[in-house]
Amino acid sequence: MGSIDSLYDRVKRYLTSFFAGEGSTDAITGYSSGELQMTVFFMVLAAMFRVFMIPLGIVLLLVATILIAYFAPIIRTVDRENSSDLNRVLFWVIIYFSIILAVTLWGR
Amino acid sequence: MIEVSLQLLGFIAATILVVVGIAGMLFLDNLIKKLIAFTLLSDGVNLALVSLGYVQGGIVPILEPGASISEFPNSAALIFGPGIVLTNIVIGVSTTAILAALIVALYKRCGSLKASKVLKGERE
Amino acid sequence: MNEPITNLWSVPLLVMIPILTAIVVNLLYNKARAIRVISIGAAIAVLAISVVSPYGFHWFAGHPAVNADGTYTFTASVFSWKLSLEYYYGPLQQILIAVTSLLLLFVVVIATKSLSKNYGPYVAIVFLTYVSAAAVIMTNDFYNLWIAVELGSLLVAGLVASSGTGYAQKAALKYTFFSALAGSGLAISLGLILGITGYANITDAIHFLMTNDLGGMHAVLYVAFAFLALAWVYAGGLIPVHPLKSDVYRSAFPHATVLLQAQSKLMLVAIGIVLLRMFGALPFAREVMLSISVLTMIIGIVMALIQTDFRWTLAYIIVSHSGLVTVGLSLGTYKGIVGGLFQAVNDIIYMSILLLCCEMLLYFGKGTSIKFNGGIAKKSPWLAAFVILGTFAASGIPPFNGFQSELIIIQAALEQSLPEVAAVVLMVSISTFIALFRAVYSIFLKPGEDHPVRQSEAKRFEIPTTVFVFLSVLLAISFVLGVYPQLALGFLTESALKVVFVPWVP
Repeated sequence: MGSIDSLYDRVKRYLTSFFAGEGSTDAITGYSSGELQMTVFFMVLAAMFRVFMIPLGIVLLLVATILIAYFAPIIRTVDRENSSDLNRVLFWVIIYFSIILAVTLWGR
Repeated sequence: MIEVSLQLLGFIAATILVVVGIAGMLFLDNLIKKLIAFTLLSDGVNLALVSLGYVQGGIVPILEPGASISEFPNSAALIFGPGIVLTNIVIGVSTTAILAALIVALYKRCGSLKASKVLKGERE
Repeated sequence: MNEPITNLWSVPLLVMIPILTAIVVNLLYNKARAIRVISIGAAIAVLAISVVSPYGFHWFAGHPAVNADGTYTFTASVFSWKLSLEYYYGPLQQILIAVTSLLLLFVVVIATKSLSKNYGPYVAIVFLTYVSAAAVIMTNDFYNLWIAVELGSLLVAGLVASSGTGYAQKAALKYTFFSALAGSGLAISLGLILGITGYANITDAIHFLMTNDLGGMHAVLYVAFAFLALAWVYAGGLIPVHPLKSDVYRSAFPHATVLLQAQSKLMLVAIGIVLLRMFGALPFAREVMLSISVLTMIIGIVMALIQTDFRWTLAYIIVSHSGLVTVGLSLGTYKGIVGGLFQAVNDIIYMSILLLCCEMLLYFGKGTSIKFNGGIAKKSPWLAAFVILGTFAASGIPPFNGFQSELIIIQAALEQSLPEVAAVVLMVSISTFIALFRAVYSIFLKPGEDHPVRQSEAKRFEIPTTVFVFLSVLLAISFVLGVYPQLALGFLTESALKVVFVPWVP
């Protein structure tokens, strides 16, 4: 078993390596499906740029795939950034507000 | 030289108050200081709303007996802004009261006023 | 448009009865029975009023110019409207307020039964939360909108903090700090719109924008949009604020969360419709709303997937489904808006089923963590049945109501040639099922840790009759709306038409 390092072994090792700290099987199913969900979402988001230009959509899709593969696991980052720390939420809100203001004023 | 009206000065002061208030809420860690920053923010908003109703050389928006009705709409200050300010003061006071009550309760529970200690995320 | 001028009797009652009840129950210290009777009576009264009330306006200050024959003139060119703070009670308001009143009744019955003593102030806060929800959906002016949002957020903090735990107080404090920021933003937005148009009434302001050239003042309008969008995001718990809002949902008592989620859905709908009517024609306004909604959906559901507590899962699913409501609204087409409004109604109903089941878990004293539970289905098969059917409704499985509204939203997204949005909606509905069923399996269906012999002897958990009735009623509504969606859709079309066909072009 150990001698064959098949794709399945690698994927399994990759998935379980995220969760060494908590060691709960209940969490692993959630984290794995959350990771896949985020992956698919970023790809869908990249593909959405086809409304501006179809080649742009394709390029962004490829870039998104590579970045996701490189930066995985994204779910850890998502979990961390979604912490309810007051200062962190305020920071995100200010960023959001600036983006909304910039986009709408630019759209004028 | 640009003629600086009272209204413009009011808006500038309001902007400074709002920016100082938001910066205080963002960067100060002490909960009481955050609360004080909120009151600054609230005052800035009130000042902006009052300045909105300013009319150059205007009169108090009460139609006195004998006053000209045709001139009244042009010279009276806008009434609605100050009306909102009244409500905003009441809401500001109740928000401050609730914030202060919760801060006291949390100080009794946690023994600290640091936002980074008391209000950190539950999952960290 | 000429309609007979009437100041509706029912609209002020919908606001005044709960406020008076709140005052009275607050005074009745230590008289539990009296509080119970009065609050249940008041809840039944507002439910009855919301069902039988006719449609129409109520003006608080200022009236439209009245013609000689008792009708009023409503034209854009002639400024026949004075400063008018008005409430409008229409079909949309009726269905949303009726559903919320039904939930208010359930919440009051459960709260007065489950809390042991001196729940007067708590019941008062419950009633005032209902008032803020009812006012925000009925109001047609910025002034009342602002007050309802501000008071609503303070009441949310009160309702959460009164559950008494440390993390509830922390959640309330964070939420109130943010309410200070968002409320000030909303006041600035109100001031800016007032400064541009001179009207506090939303319809008047829109007519002013339609008939007047703003010239160089457009930038002010964008800033007003940004501030109003901030208040929308805050009141509904959309994306940058969702950690605070999910903290709020999970740290209140589950029965209080029933009312909290209904309130935030009503706020989302009310402010969202105002945003669409007022700013829908601005470039990038709808795109901003749509991107906020899509991000909320996906982040909410991903966070729901990784939780290990039923309450946390439910909190994040409520956040995620708020995004589902706003996706429909921000598509901006007739079908999209109808889908969004229908989703709001359905969401309030099926989330209440799940939250009441969660309340029962706490009542049984087993906790809601998915790690240390199991075998509840054997002890309480009815509860397991309810929670599984509620899961089906939430994940959009026919014949329950979630399916119909999600179908309409997906169709609307496809018609707008946005298949990506449709795909995200599908992802959300499937992941809702995964997230919920993971928790349901671990808590209800997995064999318990008790010894097998002792487990058969262990006493069964009986659901109280009242809760059983409430769950059955909600499930029946969910089923009926799933089979006959026309029953609800008839209420929603008028508002959607109003948004779509009263546009203005900057």
